Amino acid sequence: MRFMIIRKADAETEAGLMPSEELIAAMGRYNEEMVKAGVLLDASGLQSSTKGARVKFSHGKPTVIDGPFTETKELVAGYSIIQVASKDEAIEWVKRWPVEDSHGAAYIEIRQLFELEDFGPSAAIDRMIEVGFSDKKQDQ
Amino acid sequence: MRFLLLIKANNENEQATVPGAGARTEMGKFNEELVRAGVLLAADGLQPSSKGARVTLSDDTRTVTDGPFAETKELVAGFCMIQVKSKEEAVEWAKRCPNPRGAGFAEIEVRQVSDAADPVPSH
Repeated sequence: MRFMIIRKADAETEAGLMPSEELIAAMGRYNEEMVKAGVLLDASGLQSSTKGARVKFSHGKPTVIDGPFTETKELVAGYSIIQVASKDEAIEWVKRWPVEDSHGAAYIEIRQLFELEDFGPSAAIDRMIEVGFSDKKQDQ
Repeated sequence: MRFLLLIKANNENEQATVPGAGARTEMGKFNEELVRAGVLLAADGLQPSSKGARVTLSDDTRTVTDGPFAETKELVAGFCMIQVKSKEEAVEWAKRCPNPRGAGFAEIEVRQVSDAADPVPSH
């Protein structure tokens, strides 16, 4: 099972502050442990919402709103994709999240990803596999 | 530049069903366009938040809260990672994403992904 580990934003990530050397080292050790355990598939950090935008659709018509966005704690600051045997295993990994992050107060959301098999037989899914879409799924 | 298109949740996504055949075909066509344009790096859908959890760290304490989570429109339902030349190009792709809520209301958040080569901002 794959899970997306979402690190929610805080005032510092939204201010565009770069992580300290200590935090980079701690996250590096944590990610290395997950790589060694064969768990980590991907990890990326997002720039602050100042550099982003939202596209809102109302009855199919798009409206673009440039960042920054205010509800900081609901924003995504970064994510990892992990492959584990259960949700409990995902939670156990997240509990080991480095205390150096967010001054020991990081807020993390764990979400299970859909696998193509979850959709059952589907011509649309078959077509997506045919055009190489399944290579774009973040699995090994 | 890499951008993450975050497709926000709605009640339908949060109700534990896989997308209907119509939505699948529409998303399939959009993903195919992204693949053909050479911009798609990754794409995935998230199961409803009822299958997820949140972990709040407070120094040595770890508090686990199981889903579902109430603020549906702030939740992520899926994402596409794309490689494009500018934020404008990323927004143009987002505008072409099939409306995940049919005739209703939907939102896609466009966020730049940090790359090792990015300049370090001074502060």
